[in-house]
Amino acid sequence: MNTLTPVLSAFWDQKDSFTMEGYKRNGGYLALAKALAMDPDKIIEEVKESGLRGRGGAGFPTGMKWGFIPQGDQKDHYLVVNADESEPGTCKDTPLLMANPHVLIEGVIIASYAIRANHAFIYIRGEVTHVVRRVQQAIEDAYSAGLLGKNILGKGFDLELVLHVGAGAYICGEETALLDSLEGFRGQPRLRPPFPAIAGLYARPTVVNNVESIASVPSIIANGAQWFASMGTEKSKGFTLYSLSGHITNPGQFEAPLGITLRELIDMAGGVRAGHKLKFWTPGGSSTPMFTDAHLDVPLDYEGVAAAGSMLGTKALQIFDETTCVVRAVLRWTEFYKHESCGKCTPCREGTWWLVQALKNLENGQGAPEDLEKLLDICDNIMGRSFCALADGAASPIISSLQYFRDEYLEHLKNGGCPFDPAASTIFATAGLR
Amino acid sequence: MSIQEIKNQEITSSQGADSAIEMITIIVDGFEVSVPKGTLVIRAAEKLGIQIPRFCDHPLLDPVGACRQCLVDIEINGRKFPKPQASCTIPVEPGMVVNTQLTSPVAEKAQKGVMELLLINHPLDCPVCDKGGECPLQNQAMSNGGGESRYEGVKRTFEKPINISSQVLLDRERCILCARCTRFSEQIAGDPFITLNERGALQQVGIYEKEPFQSYFSGNTVQICPVGALTGASYRFRARPFDLVSTPSACEHCASGCDMRVDVRRGKTLRRLAGDDSTVNEEWSCDKGRWAFKYEHRDRLTSPLIRNESGELVEASWPEALAHAAHGLSINRAAVLVGGRSTIEDAYGYSKFARIALNTNDIDFRSRTSSDEERNFLAALLLGKSVTYLDIDKADQVILLGFEPEEESPIIFLRIFKQVRKRGLKVSALAPFTSRGNEKLKATVIKNVGNEVEDISKFALTNRSVILVGERLAEVSGALTAALKLAEQSGAKLAWIPRRAGERGALEAGAIGNLLPGARQVADPKARQDIERAWGSGPLPTQTGLSTDQILDALHKGEIEALLVGGVDPGDISASAIDGLRKAFVVSLEIRNSAMSEVADVVLPVAAVVEKSGSFLDWQGRARKFEAAVTNSLHRSDVRILSILADEIGRPINLGTVEKAAKELASFGDGSSDQKSALASLSADQAKIKEPGKNQAILTSWRLLLDNGSLQEHEPNLAGTAHPCVAVISDDRANRLGVVDGDLIKISNSNGEIILPLQIGDIDPRAIWIPRNSENSRPLLALKSATHSLVSVVKA
Amino acid sequence: MNNESNSNELEPLNRAERESHEVIDNGPSGFASQLKGFWVTFRTMFKKVNTVQYPEVKEATAPRFHGRHQLNRHPDGLEKCIGCELCAWACPADAIYVEGADNSEGERFSPGERYGKVYQINYLRCVFCGLCIEACPTRALTMTNEYELADDQRQKLIFEKEDLLAPLRAGMLLPPHPMYPDADDQTYYRGEVPGASPLQENIAEPNK
Repeated sequence: MNTLTPVLSAFWDQKDSFTMEGYKRNGGYLALAKALAMDPDKIIEEVKESGLRGRGGAGFPTGMKWGFIPQGDQKDHYLVVNADESEPGTCKDTPLLMANPHVLIEGVIIASYAIRANHAFIYIRGEVTHVVRRVQQAIEDAYSAGLLGKNILGKGFDLELVLHVGAGAYICGEETALLDSLEGFRGQPRLRPPFPAIAGLYARPTVVNNVESIASVPSIIANGAQWFASMGTEKSKGFTLYSLSGHITNPGQFEAPLGITLRELIDMAGGVRAGHKLKFWTPGGSSTPMFTDAHLDVPLDYEGVAAAGSMLGTKALQIFDETTCVVRAVLRWTEFYKHESCGKCTPCREGTWWLVQALKNLENGQGAPEDLEKLLDICDNIMGRSFCALADGAASPIISSLQYFRDEYLEHLKNGGCPFDPAASTIFATAGLR
Repeated sequence: MSIQEIKNQEITSSQGADSAIEMITIIVDGFEVSVPKGTLVIRAAEKLGIQIPRFCDHPLLDPVGACRQCLVDIEINGRKFPKPQASCTIPVEPGMVVNTQLTSPVAEKAQKGVMELLLINHPLDCPVCDKGGECPLQNQAMSNGGGESRYEGVKRTFEKPINISSQVLLDRERCILCARCTRFSEQIAGDPFITLNERGALQQVGIYEKEPFQSYFSGNTVQICPVGALTGASYRFRARPFDLVSTPSACEHCASGCDMRVDVRRGKTLRRLAGDDSTVNEEWSCDKGRWAFKYEHRDRLTSPLIRNESGELVEASWPEALAHAAHGLSINRAAVLVGGRSTIEDAYGYSKFARIALNTNDIDFRSRTSSDEERNFLAALLLGKSVTYLDIDKADQVILLGFEPEEESPIIFLRIFKQVRKRGLKVSALAPFTSRGNEKLKATVIKNVGNEVEDISKFALTNRSVILVGERLAEVSGALTAALKLAEQSGAKLAWIPRRAGERGALEAGAIGNLLPGARQVADPKARQDIERAWGSGPLPTQTGLSTDQILDALHKGEIEALLVGGVDPGDISASAIDGLRKAFVVSLEIRNSAMSEVADVVLPVAAVVEKSGSFLDWQGRARKFEAAVTNSLHRSDVRILSILADEIGRPINLGTVEKAAKELASFGDGSSDQKSALASLSADQAKIKEPGKNQAILTSWRLLLDNGSLQEHEPNLAGTAHPCVAVISDDRANRLGVVDGDLIKISNSNGEIILPLQIGDIDPRAIWIPRNSENSRPLLALKSATHSLVSVVKA
Repeated sequence: MNNESNSNELEPLNRAERESHEVIDNGPSGFASQLKGFWVTFRTMFKKVNTVQYPEVKEATAPRFHGRHQLNRHPDGLEKCIGCELCAWACPADAIYVEGADNSEGERFSPGERYGKVYQINYLRCVFCGLCIEACPTRALTMTNEYELADDQRQKLIFEKEDLLAPLRAGMLLPPHPMYPDADDQTYYRGEVPGASPLQENIAEPNK
């Protein structure tokens, strides 16, 4: 394990890490000066070389995405930062913006310069008002410091940065729905092609990147692609934020190179809740198929997790110990997806409506063992049939929980209800008492 | 502008209009098919007769991929998509192999799965649903569904049904959220008054609370709804598809020429649907064409009427009435007025009747405001090349002169709107104010009332431009000539668009004083000989006939003592027309009791469109043939009755059937000759209007699509979506008068007054605009003028 | 045409046919054979009489006999028919004619949105197959055992809705009247409406 990390979270413990002074004291905005002296294409090249992949879940190479923007087309280009972090379990961008909004702003300026965009937007989740205020203040500070607006740092590059506050829809984290929402319409995914790189915001070439992806850019520019690529694994390079939550002693953000295992992360976080043992966990938020304690040594990079049958997603590691009823947990997630389904396509809209009712019955111990097959079949009719990935996310936890915990479902049916004590899984339950 | 619009524009601009179409060959279920590049997979499969089930897909709407019913397995050059793809969103590509539900178990299961999901929240209230029996959801659930549902849960429910306008009802429970209606409203009609609201399973079609679905095209959403979520108030619960006998027909309401389908049960029209003709109305119709048909069975005349000695109209037998009519027409000098709603065969009957039975050229189909200039213009126009909808599709610019497409010929509006949306077609209009229709067309409106002739000459056009001239342009002296000259100079295409369905046909049939059938000039001896020979008649009258206004004038003076009229409302011509008619012996061929019954001496009942065969010539000059939908009607077409009447007079015209009239007329061909002579007689001087004083304005008006027209009677639901009857004045004038939107103002002259609520609009500050034939606003009767005259405007 | 000329036109009969046409009549031969003949008569005199003195006496039909149709009512008097026309659709003889209409706030004939405004069965065409009964989604249409369907005028055999509607029984109110308080069409279909409530009666009063 190398010691180059932490990078993003290096100075979060400083009292004024979120201010301009705090950021500059730790070397902030130096990368910007370096970038503005570079040829924009060179920056794209550098990011490509670094192997930085999108941190929003899909893991698409960031540099390649920038390279898709047609240059010299006489059209406006836009950069949109997706800060609509609302996946259950995912909580990396919010603390990042809370602790260090300027690293994002610096990244935005560099990225905009690279793709020749003069307008950039940060689409932020509406519920996190405190973060909205902090980012807004940071943007204002950046404007007054001449880092945004006309002729940035005297280098002749103009950039307007707008903070847009979402209205609380999970679907707006999907990039095309986000663009619709940003344009003032209801957030619903758009038909692709055309892809945003060709016709995105206001039908102009647009790059949509996750907060963490953009925030990683200044360090790449400052330290070079090789430095970044020296971290992580062969195809998943660099560092990232792992968010541990749930039944863990010290939940929070853990920055590490890609490819670390959960076993190592749990050690860092002080172990599973005292007196309990790990039952199941999600590698990347609730929409990624769950893992069990058999997967503690799976390397947490894009390939490793995929090989084990799940997705790295947003690296939101939700830890559940043996007091948790898996049926109950899955039902809660499914209720979330039902509530957040945008309604555009049939499998997601109707499927989540059905799944919730089916799971409720199972939780209450109603039904027969055959109903599990039916449930799997409904999931099969939803998975991969919908317009966007939301419905896949809704079906994944059900399919994976049935894969690993079928007996627990059957236990519900045999028992005529949930065999677990819901209070035992709460954080206020006395440790070890059952 | 949406993404799709921009994409469309970019695609069109990057492709030359005439570039060769690239064909792509793909394999669907083992069969090869070649289709043009850009064709969607679902349509390529259709070409092979392979029906992939679908709901949201509609060939005339942008793809959306919402219902997911059309999932198929696709591979390209051996690379298989990992999941089934929506065939309605994917264009064909070289090397594509498609496996539909017929050959791919994955696609079949995916479709069954989606169908089951679609039905879990569907109420399955088919027995009370209007769509039952012709429902795509019902049909495809049978053909591609899984037989039985495994859903045992609770369905989501909504309040049933809600009115989203007076004529469209929405049942949200039945809705499968395919977004056809919302896409139609936005993309085709330009009236985005309905949209999807809420999310998840609670997503629903809705209206903005203050703005109901007041679109002239709302009926199309009912027709394209793949379930019974949108139903029309007037057809609700009336019938089942198996009750109905469907007959292809043509719309009688305007000159757009829509293909229609008439559904009849037991001799009564229950509904009408838009027919499918890609070269005319595509698959759309306006609400008037769809829902205004109750005139067919209300206040119908069932037997001939004769005015007795005491001045009352009483029922009479056919022989008695025909003898009386023949006597009256033959002992007096007689003329003929043909309403603008006759079929071309009927118009030909009137034309031949006038020439042979009455030995006169005094015939005119223009029972409305008209001018002599117009008559010459029309004679000249017939010689020009015909203009079609396809010319609009290809035009670089469209000029609207005296023509409000959305109000006066709505399908032309849709066609122009399509091009405006697709490729930013440039539209300019000469009008007193920017109407909502012109707003939607993003038209440049030249608001300069009284200087039309000068403004027309200023347009810079090319030979790809299209000039659309409305019948109202005749009300401005010199304007028609100016338009004709503009077209000649620039090579632009010029089309004349009458408001009524029968006018273009009547013109070709020679139901006008200066033309014989086949556009032959009355004044041309050779043309007369042609016709004499064909008719086997004696010499035809040589003198050019009188026009509508001249005929009425002659009636007043007593120079003409008898008149044959067919479907004419004297109130459409002028306020004093009825007085002239009172003096004469009037024989009226009518379908219903009308204003003419007040003055007619003999009324002969005739068949309505639904009961007869025939054809209308639309504005393109294209015949829109139709057969009788009610086959057992006792009513007869005008031409047959005219033929009997001519026999009674003793000068037979031998047109016993509609087919005979059609055949005879067709045999004449195009007899048009010298164009210059007609043009030369036109002059392009415009009469100057005095500048309006302080409380004066120049009156302007046109008819709204939905108004007091007699064919729209007894249609309260339809009337509910009429545009508001308001007077439009400028901001300036409103300030001067100290009034705001909705206040009443009085428009008056020495003849009378009209009081209307006002609306401030983007209007020529010297002008005022009012509807021409709406409730409380019939300027031709109240003010004895419809346009271009000074009126005083004060706060009421 | 007389018989002779008629028979001349016929083909001559063949032998077997001729024999079957020949009447062999040897007359009564003795008391025994007469007794044998009358034995049937005699025996029958002591059997139960099968003749029914119709129309003075009417016998009950089999319980499932397909007789005249009836349009049933919900227990509070509202009509069960929703005017869906499925009966007309199912009818192989095209004997049924239905027109549906909207139930309005002021005039309600059935629960839900739709009711049958016009309902005709043409008994000159009806073949009493009962397919209409199977098609009816609300059990509004059933068949009674009534079989006396004859008349002297054809028009009278087209039964209108009034002729077909079930009579009002105890607890029923003549529609139009509102639905049972707090009930919807589902409540009716589940059979949870006991009978007309006094509240319905009060509102229904002005309609009478």
